[in-house]
Amino acid sequence: MRRPETSLLVNEALKKDANDVDALFVLAALRAQDGHPEEGLSILDRVLGIDPDYPGAWFFKEKLHRMCGETRQAQMAREQGEATEA
Amino acid sequence: MTAASEIVKMKVCMAGEAMVGKTSLIRRYVLEEYDDRYTATLGTKITKKNLAVAHPQDGRRVEVNLILWDIMGAPTLRDLLKEAYYHGAQGVLGVVDLTREETLRELDAWSRSIRTVAGTVPTYVVVNKSDLEAKARMDRETVDRFCRDRGYPWSYASAKTGAGVEEAFEGLVRQVLSG
Repeated sequence: MRRPETSLLVNEALKKDANDVDALFVLAALRAQDGHPEEGLSILDRVLGIDPDYPGAWFFKEKLHRMCGETRQAQMAREQGEATEA
Repeated sequence: MTAASEIVKMKVCMAGEAMVGKTSLIRRYVLEEYDDRYTATLGTKITKKNLAVAHPQDGRRVEVNLILWDIMGAPTLRDLLKEAYYHGAQGVLGVVDLTREETLRELDAWSRSIRTVAGTVPTYVVVNKSDLEAKARMDRETVDRFCRDRGYPWSYASAKTGAGVEEAFEGLVRQVLSG
């Protein structure tokens, strides 16, 4: 048995529930991995809109902002992450 | 009159390849449940468990609020998501599948990724699926050498039967408390 392809799992989950936060979180990562961090950020904002405490999401947001060259927003995301996970 | 316990909050992250049984070990440890069907983990799941342990250094009672981070085993996203997963991690439970030797070797890649975010954190290796001894693809000597060379304590467990599961999690907790 092999682990199913991540993108297939994401698509299946989102077909069942377009607001599935786990699937959206991974979709954000897949878009960033494909060279589109700004799209990843937009999806991650949806995740945080649904669940502002989603584990690790603020630190991932920090990383994506850095990938987009947005230092100030990255710092703000980090501070929010530290407050959330304290 | 008994002295009040010290309360310690502890973030522990699971590490290891897909399908080694990270989620099953947590389910067994926290819920005492096991499901033979495989469901791949998507995203991040947090499970909490409170336990009381004797501090390994002086025996005083410590209440540990354990926060277990279960993560996707997909290695392609490991480095991209490492900050999200491992920020603030105080301990790592590296999970190996007794029936797949490569899962032991791959722990080095997980460890490298974790170190870049959390520094050198206490790591405990659990060799899961010990109930499948007949299908074992690594011998005890290989596991012993691997873990000894890296300074990781280790033990064997089966999420299916429950054998050794509590010992693995609590072994890591004691390791973290030892500093």
